Parts: sequence; structure tokens; C-alpha cells
Amino acid sequence: MPPYGLPPGQKQAALLALLKDELEYACQRHAGYGNYVRHWPVDYRAAEQVASLPFLPVSVLKADPPLSLVPPAEIKRTLTSSATTSQSPSRVALDGPTSRRMTKGVVLIMRDFIGPHRRPYLVVDVAGDRGDGGAMGARAAAIQGLRPFASEVKYCLGLDDRGGLALDRNTLKAFAQDRQETEVLVYGFTYILWNHLVKPLLAEGLCLNLPQARILHSGGWKRLRDQAVEKSAFNEGLARVFGCAPGHVIDFYGMVESVGVVFPDCAEGNKHSPAFGEVIVRNPLTLAPAAPGEHGIVQVCSVLPTSFPGHLLLTEDMARVMAYDGCPCGRRGLSFRFAERIPQAEVRGCGNLQTKRSP
Amino acid sequence: MTELTHHVDAPAEISGAAARLRQRVREREISPHDVMTVFEAWAGSLAAREMEDIPGLLFLRMWLKRGNLEPIIARELGGNALHGRWTEQGRARCKAFPVGVVGHWPAANVEIQPLLSMTCALLGGNAALVRVPEGLIDITRRLIGKLAQSDPAQRLTSRIFLAAFQHGRQDLHEAMAQAVDGAMIWGGQESVLRVRALPFPHWARIAVFGPRTSAAAMDAGAWNNPDARETWCARIARDVWQFDQQACSSPQVLFLENNTGRDTAPFRSALQQAFASENKAHPRTAIAASLTSAICQARAAWLIQAPARRAVFPMAPDWTLLFGAGSEAPPPTQGKTLTVLEVESLMETVSKFDGGLQTLGLGMADPAKESQLAALAANRGVDRIVKLGRMHTFVPPWDGVDLVRPMVRMVRHVGSTDPTPP
Repeated sequence: MPPYGLPPGQKQAALLALLKDELEYACQRHAGYGNYVRHWPVDYRAAEQVASLPFLPVSVLKADPPLSLVPPAEIKRTLTSSATTSQSPSRVALDGPTSRRMTKGVVLIMRDFIGPHRRPYLVVDVAGDRGDGGAMGARAAAIQGLRPFASEVKYCLGLDDRGGLALDRNTLKAFAQDRQETEVLVYGFTYILWNHLVKPLLAEGLCLNLPQARILHSGGWKRLRDQAVEKSAFNEGLARVFGCAPGHVIDFYGMVESVGVVFPDCAEGNKHSPAFGEVIVRNPLTLAPAAPGEHGIVQVCSVLPTSFPGHLLLTEDMARVMAYDGCPCGRRGLSFRFAERIPQAEVRGCGNLQTKRSP
Repeated sequence: MTELTHHVDAPAEISGAAARLRQRVREREISPHDVMTVFEAWAGSLAAREMEDIPGLLFLRMWLKRGNLEPIIARELGGNALHGRWTEQGRARCKAFPVGVVGHWPAANVEIQPLLSMTCALLGGNAALVRVPEGLIDITRRLIGKLAQSDPAQRLTSRIFLAAFQHGRQDLHEAMAQAVDGAMIWGGQESVLRVRALPFPHWARIAVFGPRTSAAAMDAGAWNNPDARETWCARIARDVWQFDQQACSSPQVLFLENNTGRDTAPFRSALQQAFASENKAHPRTAIAASLTSAICQARAAWLIQAPARRAVFPMAPDWTLLFGAGSEAPPPTQGKTLTVLEVESLMETVSKFDGGLQTLGLGMADPAKESQLAALAANRGVDRIVKLGRMHTFVPPWDGVDLVRPMVRMVRHVGSTDPTPP
């Protein structure tokens, strides 16, 4: 079964049963989480749809030590979010089984977009220790998640004298040499790709001549907001630098808190959820699922995690519902597009809160 | 009808407007009595059906009534001030004079506040230069339009300039500060500090309101009284609902004194009913996604952190009651999220208050204890101690500060000629 082939009703029923089991398990493992679930206005055991199940705001995962459903000895790795838009990062405790399921999840999803085979993998980042155990950041997790598609891996950024990122032109040119006919995979964080690869190479008028390149990027657009870089200009810039079609550039949304379920753009520019996950876009006023065309707060559902309560997470992102089925790309179920990050909530006195009121 | 709201784009527009306003104040005195005459007409015109959707309108109309304002003037400026007369004080005489042009930096989350702040300056005979937050331009324009209709002789409107400009226009904020003789600043910590740092003239009078929060407290005789329970809960809900719990006078936490282990379940149930009823009567029509997010976060964090805690809330972010124990309240969430904490002793709880608390709403059955509690709260920095259900009643002093007096000068004249011998 392809990850996007289930009819919505069938997928809903399968997910509902699995998620109820996971809720039961999580409540037994964490008294506080169980307390939260018990106070939810709808008894999850009687819920008739995934949208009625108790979701957890993602900020709860900022707890330190991390909110874990397994004993410390079973935690193999702690993922941390980049924390670029919040004061403290999320911390996600992964045990072995959860870690393996999450890797499989990414592979299943990406396979549907770029095919299953291995190919040379260019990472637009610095090489670092990404070995087993310990903490791992969002960038490292994303880089690692694509390794199953790699036949070889090259990193094309280094650090300059001040510790800043610098393009390693020799590595880049060596990677590109004689690969005009070869399909290659390129990955970088969105702002890193733009600032440290596209901008310098465009300025030099350099083209890497890799027409078969598939370029994946993630991490969001916030750090490019000051430069007012539009998605179309971003794709065209990358296409010019690599000498490929702009359609070979795929933006995907992923979050450390729900690693294993990522959301690449389809050819229509929409995002979809796989068979083992779901997205619910919730109207901020009612928290009910938004209607097609409406904006709302994104909830990400996943059956993959069992070492932390990350199966029903209300994110801090907004999205627009495109349709509840029937995307022309052929993928079934909800199609949606990310809109923006929710501004940080702050306590208001009789205060001037213009940033909140401005359109 | 005069257009009083101006989209400003250059500092010169502000300095020019301020010069004209100052000239008006110098040319013609206006007594509080005459100001109130216009206010009364304005309040009448605000009763129009098309104005009903403006949050806080009823409050503004009540504030503008002569019966409300006359006692305030009498208390703050003295009885003779009402008609702009001098008050004899032995061989001297005193009279309130305006400071001149008063700049207003109102909050953007209270719809009527730009004009509420403005009225305080006008009552002192001043002119008002008001910065209107971008999100309130339309509402302010509708409200001030009614004033213009009610003031054909332009006795007040000639003293008003409403400046609409972007929050980030530091040059315009500076121009406004340089042009005024006094300032009324309402806001959160960041806003207040930024406005206070503007280049005001050294003589400018500054009155700051905020940022502060408020709390409520009840003794067992009140919350455990089955005959009064529903009434008290309705009062609490009313205080929480007004201004979506985002005013500095909104209660964020309710302390219940319970030193005998009484069951609070009936009270919790009554409070839940009161919140549900209030929500049905006054449902939200819009909410910022950030507030929804914060409410969800508050619910989850409260229950996850301690398995013994309770909470009740609907699926929607309409309202939230968080129940627990202890005198340490969590950071305020607002958006109708009330934390209810059982404490051993209200006196002990209030003794931990600091200057951050503006209003204490009380529901007490024991008047002697209330008197003690009020004295202690005042000692710990609370400026308003009122009955539950009246936490937003806008009666000065507000934040411990008078509303009209700070923007007037009490001028004393001691005659230079010898008094006539009897």
C-alpha cells in the first residue's frame, strides 16, 4: 500500500483505533499525562473521530527533563528543536523502537516523492558528529533522516575563522564533476541553502550543471523573512545554481517533535499526511477542524512514537486547508499549505500590543 | 463633520497639530462643567443601535455621565473647580489650570481606551493628542464621529487630534513626545518603557497605568454559602469576561480560603455553570491564534505537572478553570483562564503580594477579616480593593493615581496688595 493511497474514511478508522491504544499506553506510563487525558472534555475511549482525541500543545515538550514514557535507561537519543523561534527548545526522548519507526516513516514518505534508490547525497551543511546516543538537533536529524537514500555523502560547508558557515567550493565542484547524467540528492536548511550556497554562487554566476539534482529543504522561512525571499524566487535561484528544473526543488515541513512524519510539497504545492499520520487544521476560535479554504492551527498526528507522548501534537504553525480529498497529484486525504508561525503569545495588561492587532 | 482622526506620516504633522492645540488651550479656558455638557450629549448619541457592537461601549457611556464625573472632579480638584472658579485659601486662592497638550499612548487591546484616556485630559481643560493604535482606528473613528456630531460648536473637538500611525514609527512617537506637556501612558512593560524613554520636555507630567495584573479572593463563609454561591460565581464570571480577561483589572487567580478541609466541589460546580452561562450570553466572535495556543498550553501544563490537580474546560478555547492548591499562582494566561487555588490563610497569601497586583476583588462573609485583608493588601502594593463583580468599575483613583489631577496644575495666587482692613 503506498503511503498516500488510503481512502480518508478507511484511514480515519485505522488511525483512530491505533491512537486510542497509544493513548491508553501513554496514560499508564505517565501519571501527569494521564491526568490531562482524564480531564479532556471527550472520553477518548468513546471518541468517534481522531479530531476528538486529546491533543497536546507542542510547547509541553519543552520540559526538561523531557516528557518521556520510558525509563531513562531506555532513552537512546534526545532530539532537540532548533529553538530559533522560541526561548527554549523542545526535547524529544527516543528509545530504540521509536527511533527505528521514525526512520522508516521518513523513508516511506520520501520514497513516494524521490523514488527508492540510493544516489550521491550532497549536504549543504557542516559535517559533524552525528553518531549514536546523546543529543541531536533538528538539522542533524533531518540530514540523518535522508541517509537511507545516499550512496555517498558529501558536506559542502565548513566553518570560517569566526565560526560562521562558509562554502567549501572545492568539495562542491568535486561533487558536481562529471555528474550531469547522474541523479543526485541535495539537502539543506532553507536559510542555509539560500544564504550560503545560492546567494554566493548566483553572485559569481556559477552553475553546477546537475540537471538531475533533487533538492530538498526544510526548516521554515522565518530567517529569510528579512530578505523577502519568495518561494518562487528561491526555487528559481536553486534551479539556476544547480542547472535543474525549479520543479526539482521540494520544500518539506518536519518538526523534531513529530520526526518520522514529514510533509513534502507535492507537484501542486500542497502537503499531505501519510497512512501512519494525519493533520488536522483547527479553527482557532472553536478548535474544530477548519473548512476548506480556512486557516487554522496545525495538529500533527502520528502513530510512530511510543517513547514520548507525541502522537497528537498541536503545533505553533498555521496552515490553510486546500481540500479534504482529491488533490490532482493523486495523493488521498487532506491537502494543506503552511501559512505562518503563530506569533508568540504574551501576557497582556492594558498594553499596547500592536503586533497582535496588525493585519 | 470634522475629521478628527488623521493618518500621520511626518513628524511635522504632529508638531503642527500640537501647536494649534496649544494655541486653543491658551485662547479659551473650558470648565469641567462645560466639558461635561458636551460629554452628556456624546453619551446620548452613543446609544445609537449601530454602535452596540463596540466592546466597552456601555462602560464609556456610563463614564461620560455628569452624575459619574462631577464627584470625581469635586474630589480631585475641589468643589469650585467644576465651574472653573478660584478657591479661597486664607490670603491665597487656588485654581486648577491645564498643563496644556496631553499626549495619550493608549493600550491596543481595550477598544475604548484611546477615548477614555482622552476624556481625562479634556476634563482638566487640556487639549488631547492621541496616538490611535492601528487595530483601533475604525472603532475610534466611529466613536469620535459621534462626539463631533454632539459638539457642533467644536468646544471639545477643536482640542482633539487623533494621530494614526504605525507602531514602529519611532520618529512619530518622538515628535509626539516632544510636542506635549503631559502624557498618559497605558501599556505592558515593554510599551511603557519604550514610551517613557521618548524625549519629553523636562516639564512634562507623566502618568503611567500598567502593566499589572489582578486577583480575587474569598473566605469560606462566602464561597461555602449555598445561598450566595451562584451570585458570587456569576460576579466572578462577569469580572473574567469583561475585556476577555486582558485588562490590568482582570482577575487571573482566585484564592479560596479553606483551612478546615471543606469540600469545594459544590463551589467548583457552580463556577463552571457560571462560566458556561456567561459564555453562552457573551460568546467570543474572534480570537488570536496565539491566545488559543496559550490557553491549550495552560490547560496541558497545569494538569501534566501535578496529577492531583483538576481542571474543567470545553473543547473550544472559550473558557478554562484550573483548580489546585497553594498560594503560588502560575503565570497569567488570560483569555478567560482562571486559576482557582485553595489556601490555608488569605492573610498569609496576601502578605506575599507585591506591587504587580493592581486590583483585589473580594468576596467575604466576615467584615472584620475583610477590613484586615484590605489593609494588608494595600500595604503590599494593591491599589484597588473592591467587591467581586466590580473589578473593572472605572472609578478613580485608578492604579492609585487620580485620573484628572495629574494633568492639571494647581495654581496658587497670593495677592500682592494688602488686604482691605475690616
